[in-house]
Amino acid sequence: MTELFVQQSVNWITLGSIYALLAIGFSLIFGVLNVIHFSHGDVAMTAPFIALALVQALAVALGASGPVWLVLATIAAVIAVGLIGAVLDKVVIRRFREAPAMMALVATVALGIVIRELIRHLYPQGSNPHAFPRLVSGVAFEITGVSVSWFALLVVGLTTLLVALLFVFLRLTPLGLRIRAASEDRVVARMMGIRDGRVFRATFFIASAIGAIAGLLFASYAGVTRFDFGVMAGLLGFSAAVIGGLGSMPGAIAGGLIIAGIEVLAQTFVPDGASYRLVFVFILVIVVLVFRPAGLLGRTIMEKV
Amino acid sequence: MGLSASPAAPGAAAAAAFTILSQLCGAAFLYVLLKADGSWQVMGLLALLGVGFFLLERFPGIGEFITASLTRVPLVTAATAAIIVLGFPFVVGSNTYILHLLIVAQLYAVLALALNFQLGSANIPNFATGASYGIGAYVSALLALNFGMSFWLTLPIAALAATLFGFIIGIPSMRTRDTYLALVTIAFGVVVQQLLNNFDWTGGPNGLVGIPAPSLFGHSFASPLQVFGWKLPSQANFYYLAAALVVVAVVTAQRLHGSRIGLAWNALRADEIAAKAQGINVAWYKVLAFAVDAFLAAFAGTIYAFYVSYISPDNFTFLVSVTIMTMVIVGGMDNIFGVIVGAFLLTILPEKLRAFSDYRLLFFGVVVIGFLMIRPQGLFPQRLRQYGVHR
Repeated sequence: MTELFVQQSVNWITLGSIYALLAIGFSLIFGVLNVIHFSHGDVAMTAPFIALALVQALAVALGASGPVWLVLATIAAVIAVGLIGAVLDKVVIRRFREAPAMMALVATVALGIVIRELIRHLYPQGSNPHAFPRLVSGVAFEITGVSVSWFALLVVGLTTLLVALLFVFLRLTPLGLRIRAASEDRVVARMMGIRDGRVFRATFFIASAIGAIAGLLFASYAGVTRFDFGVMAGLLGFSAAVIGGLGSMPGAIAGGLIIAGIEVLAQTFVPDGASYRLVFVFILVIVVLVFRPAGLLGRTIMEKV
Repeated sequence: MGLSASPAAPGAAAAAAFTILSQLCGAAFLYVLLKADGSWQVMGLLALLGVGFFLLERFPGIGEFITASLTRVPLVTAATAAIIVLGFPFVVGSNTYILHLLIVAQLYAVLALALNFQLGSANIPNFATGASYGIGAYVSALLALNFGMSFWLTLPIAALAATLFGFIIGIPSMRTRDTYLALVTIAFGVVVQQLLNNFDWTGGPNGLVGIPAPSLFGHSFASPLQVFGWKLPSQANFYYLAAALVVVAVVTAQRLHGSRIGLAWNALRADEIAAKAQGINVAWYKVLAFAVDAFLAAFAGTIYAFYVSYISPDNFTFLVSVTIMTMVIVGGMDNIFGVIVGAFLLTILPEKLRAFSDYRLLFFGVVVIGFLMIRPQGLFPQRLRQYGVHR
């Protein structure tokens, strides 16, 4: 029993960290632009494909292959996806800032379709699933007979590091201050001489890059990547951000852990739970929002008359 | 001649002539679009449509003139529309593919009209219309398959079941709003779709097969339709059935729009707190919007199930709900005519983009995004309510 418990706890924290990273992107973008970027999951899931393409290109061009090159390719992919996010913001999403919320949502869902189809067409045999290597392999240590892999440690460590860096960035750097100011009140921020265009660009770069890391970790966790993984990744990341409370970083992390927790619980304890896991996840989402309409850690919205 | 008259008040005869002419033009465009194959033809027609809407945008007088003529002679308008709808299958003839497209487009028009009560009139997001549609389809199909019930009996039962579901989604809507409410409806949609996909008695991912065709006065809908010596393919039965449903939906929508309920929904959209202060029972009208949506969507679902005789959970995914939502937004929120046009365009367009074979989804996405950027208010934006004797 303890074995099962420890094993599932490790699974839970690994998956929860990945969801939390996705949710942070949603939350960050919503906090600053007030727009639901529904294609965030799809943007994130371009990262594994870019990394795979880079690895293959490197192997052909330099004849180089090995873990070092894989790491380099993943880092390049993270930066590339960050840039993709910034470009999408400039070209599409920013235009829906003032539009009704549902219009932005529909537009970004359509954007998600475009991104998925582009992956499918641009990547050779993009319709098929592609194997994605474990970024690190091997067993780190054992407790109560359960082996904890280096990969699980990498996921948890990387997530902690990114969250800490993001916190420091938002609290202690001038750009972070500007992002917080713009998310507090965009008009006043502009009056204070903050160029909101730059703030948006920076926000999208950061959110998309964090999403890319989540995408890479997810592909590595699943051992495979598909062009349409972005739909579920987006839906689960969005749910995590919303039940945590949009715009709240601790909320996004809590939301990610909760969603992953219910998923793991369903798979472990409910017979045939794996096929019903989404049912449990979304029933939980409904229940949370009925009792906490603005998410767990969200600010309750007081409407001014 | 017609255009020289004052846009505000065209003469009755000129208005009647113009009404008939413009509706025939619309029908002709639809026919040509349905017939078109080959990428250049489709692109050309899209460009034509674009030019048309550009002109509407540049010269709002044209749009005003058209609406003024149409409302000037409502009887002529309705009669022409009825003749066009009734006559279309005769023009199409034995081309079952076009008839199929038209049936699906009409069903989507009903779904979009259903969603329009919430999204358009009351500005409540709802991503569960696809689920209500699915519940309608599954309830009626299960009743027909397991208990041998007739189509006409399953129709109201399915609608009642879906309405109950609408009430269930409506209840959390009293507490949450905006994005949070959107997520609640997405969650309901996913839960329903996943349950349909997993239960044994719904056939799981394989769905339900062999739903019997309905029959009316001894005439089976699976057999060809004979009208005065004309022989129409069996799809024509469902075409007329779907057309009847569209009429029901339009009349419902118009009656509701003109009633206190429609006004209350509009008040909710304008300002919820102000509406509450006026003594409008906000919670009740919100839930009602969900129930009406589910009710109409279930009708469409029932007809769909009996038409294709095979349903699976893949027909009722989250993306179906998003498509319906796109139709409402592209067509024009709270504008009945606009919503129907949006539904037809977005049903026919992806099919026509088959000319681009594998790239059609990509094109579709680009077209939708471009659309929302260029004309965010929709093809036919909502109009101000007009009161008074002749306005």
